[in-house]
Amino acid sequence: MSLKPKKVDFTVTWNALKRTIEGVVTLSKVPRVEWNDRFTDVYSLCVAHPDPFTNQLYSETKEFLTRHVQSLREQIIQFENNSDLLKVYHEMWIKYSQGVSYLNKLYSYLNQQHVKKSKLSEADLTYGGIGDLPGHMVEIGELGLEIWRLEMLEKIKDNLIELVLEAIRIDRKGDSAVPTTVVNGVIQSFVAVEDPKLRVPGDPSTHLTFYEKSFEEPFLRDTGQYYQKEANKLIETCSVAEYMEKVIQKLHEEDMRARRYLHPTSYAKLSAECHRRLVTDHASLLHAECLQMVENDRRKDLANMYCLLKPLSGGLGFLADTVEQHIQNEGLDAIKSMKPETAHTDFVENMVVVQKKYKEIVSNIFNSDQLFLSALDKACTKVINWRGQASQPGQAKLPPCKSPELLAKYCDTLLKKSTKGFSEQEVDEKLNNSIMIFKYIEDKDVFQKFYARNLARRLIHQLSNSMDAEEGMINRLKQACGYEFTNKLHRMFTDVSVSNDLCNKFNDYLTSQNLTTGVGFSVQVLQAGAWPLQSNYPVQVPQVLEKSVHIFETFYSKQFNGRKLTWLHHLSTSDVKLNYTKRTYFITMQTLQLSLLTHFEIQDSLSCKELQELTQLNDDAFTRHLQSLIDCKLLLASSKVSEVHPTELTADTIIELNKNYSNKRSKFRISGAMQKETPQEVEHTFASVEEDRKIFIQAAIVRIIKSRKVIKHNVLIQEVLNLSYTRFSPTISIIKKCVETLIERQYLERTPNSTDEYSYVA
Amino acid sequence: MKFKIKSWNSVAIWKWLANDDKCGICRAPFDGCCSDCKIPGDDCPLVWGVCSHCFHMHCIMKWLAAQQNQICPMCRQDWALKSDLP
Repeated sequence: MSLKPKKVDFTVTWNALKRTIEGVVTLSKVPRVEWNDRFTDVYSLCVAHPDPFTNQLYSETKEFLTRHVQSLREQIIQFENNSDLLKVYHEMWIKYSQGVSYLNKLYSYLNQQHVKKSKLSEADLTYGGIGDLPGHMVEIGELGLEIWRLEMLEKIKDNLIELVLEAIRIDRKGDSAVPTTVVNGVIQSFVAVEDPKLRVPGDPSTHLTFYEKSFEEPFLRDTGQYYQKEANKLIETCSVAEYMEKVIQKLHEEDMRARRYLHPTSYAKLSAECHRRLVTDHASLLHAECLQMVENDRRKDLANMYCLLKPLSGGLGFLADTVEQHIQNEGLDAIKSMKPETAHTDFVENMVVVQKKYKEIVSNIFNSDQLFLSALDKACTKVINWRGQASQPGQAKLPPCKSPELLAKYCDTLLKKSTKGFSEQEVDEKLNNSIMIFKYIEDKDVFQKFYARNLARRLIHQLSNSMDAEEGMINRLKQACGYEFTNKLHRMFTDVSVSNDLCNKFNDYLTSQNLTTGVGFSVQVLQAGAWPLQSNYPVQVPQVLEKSVHIFETFYSKQFNGRKLTWLHHLSTSDVKLNYTKRTYFITMQTLQLSLLTHFEIQDSLSCKELQELTQLNDDAFTRHLQSLIDCKLLLASSKVSEVHPTELTADTIIELNKNYSNKRSKFRISGAMQKETPQEVEHTFASVEEDRKIFIQAAIVRIIKSRKVIKHNVLIQEVLNLSYTRFSPTISIIKKCVETLIERQYLERTPNSTDEYSYVA
Repeated sequence: MKFKIKSWNSVAIWKWLANDDKCGICRAPFDGCCSDCKIPGDDCPLVWGVCSHCFHMHCIMKWLAAQQNQICPMCRQDWALKSDLP
């Protein structure tokens, strides 16, 4: 066979070709040899000599296909308004589309050589709007589909679509008799015959214009109407909970349906339409039920609610607000009625229960949605920093929040040696919970003050249960709040070990100098700045101990230059052996208690007045410590003198040594008055917090202004708030006061031309 | 003896014996440390000059290293460490 162009008789060749084409598009039998020969025919027609018959071939083919489709339409016309229309159409379409695709292959020479050349460039499509140029060629496959669209679909699509919609309606009712393949095939035929000329390259919204216009639009309209009715029917017959359940099921079904029948671009549109009809239109109904669901802890319903409202823009806000309000109420309820003795435990543990419960709900039911996490946080912050409700606006200041103090106390009970006997893991977990609560606390500096005081007490009196646990807790605080926050706590820790070393050195010194203190002497020498301690009153130590004090002071001044020691005898303790009782007792007591007792070495009884003169204690300390000794029955107060108030000590009350003292245990500790927090101490703590805050704010202001040189009042306030929020939240008035102070001290000044601007004074 | 003291755990605090509460060079309190240190105490000690002025050791060393004349930054007398401390 030669590929050389030659003379061809168009009519003869075309007639042969036409027979084969007819066989192809009706999918009847075409012999292999004949099929092969037709390729040659197409080729020879296209390259015929002297003039190629390309255009003629093209228009004859078009003519033929048009007539073929028209005849098919005449056949189908009898099925109009008949439910068999779908089936018949589908069969025809499958056959035809298959045939056309074969035909496309048969004409591949024509497609490649002539159609490609005459195809419009992209630029022409974009700018020309030339559209349907007469004589403009498209590939035979496309041509076939176009003919189908024009001659078949456009003519019968209304009936067709009505039937498709009917079939889907039946499907929605749960009837399985719907011929899925047929319906799907019909819908897909809309996509297949899409006019490629309407496509704008790079704009997918133009790719399916025919499908969208003729099928999708009526389909969505129909769906909307269907679900509108459906929703109203459901609402009348069932509760909101059931409604949600049914809606979720329907949405799911519809999703599956979309995948069965539709083109992928329609999935989202369909579910949006359903969602609009079933949820958005009835959002207020759902919202009305939120509160009840949250209050009754109906988790499944809440999960459904979340799932339904999530796609709505802003749909979850209402639910989140309801949840927040409810957590707040429940939290406040949980910490409302606490007995003062157990308030610290109740507060922390009840709060942990509430937080954990809702944390779990948020992560399981609400999918850890940011909106709900922040609702939880907001609610917890409000509860934990609750200071009571101002009964009247403009009422005097609310009392400071008790939470930091309670939390510190809770930590103290966990870290102290105690009889409660929690296991190490239990303590660890409880401490972790404490940190969780701690993060919500606004007045972190108040917590720090109380924590430091408790830590000091535990370290000085060796009350800590485990040093590892102590250190672990400090590290957790450091993680939560930074180095600055725990700096002092770390230094306290270091001091304890430094003191141990020092004691060892001191003992070596004693041996080398051949000295002895006469008592088992140990000392903790602490850095004044790091510990929350004051030397509040001078104390005379019992004479036996004075020697130790002197020797140690000499030793210390040799060890260190330029340091001044101050003894805090009110914090020291001693182990004392009682020799005057039937049994021997070893008692650990405070040095102050000891110094009271030692005055009974010579006499057995003394009046209060005499005793106070001997000890030179102030009234408060004297009464407290004497009372503590009377309370534990080591001393007896004669009630003869003051019968009116037997418990009250007066100057004339005679104090007597109890020689018949007995106790089941032979080794024990008498706790002094100092172990309890006095209200004054608490007040003092708050006062010192207040003082520290002022210093912190002033430092912050100076730092900010120094870097900005000139700053507006409002900006300054905001910057200060930003800098301080990790420790506490200052009131605007205190910031203003600090600004005033700094202006007085000439760190800054008001700028001359503006009323609300400050500048730095270098 | 009615009472026999077996052992005594005493507590004391220490402060620098300084004539001022802040260092004249870095203006940080003596209770704290100089601007280069993190932890006050033994690692950041104070030193006293014969002129009776007192500084963080690190601060005065830096000052002296930067000066040609070894003088006290407070009183401009010659700087020398005081050996006999109070």
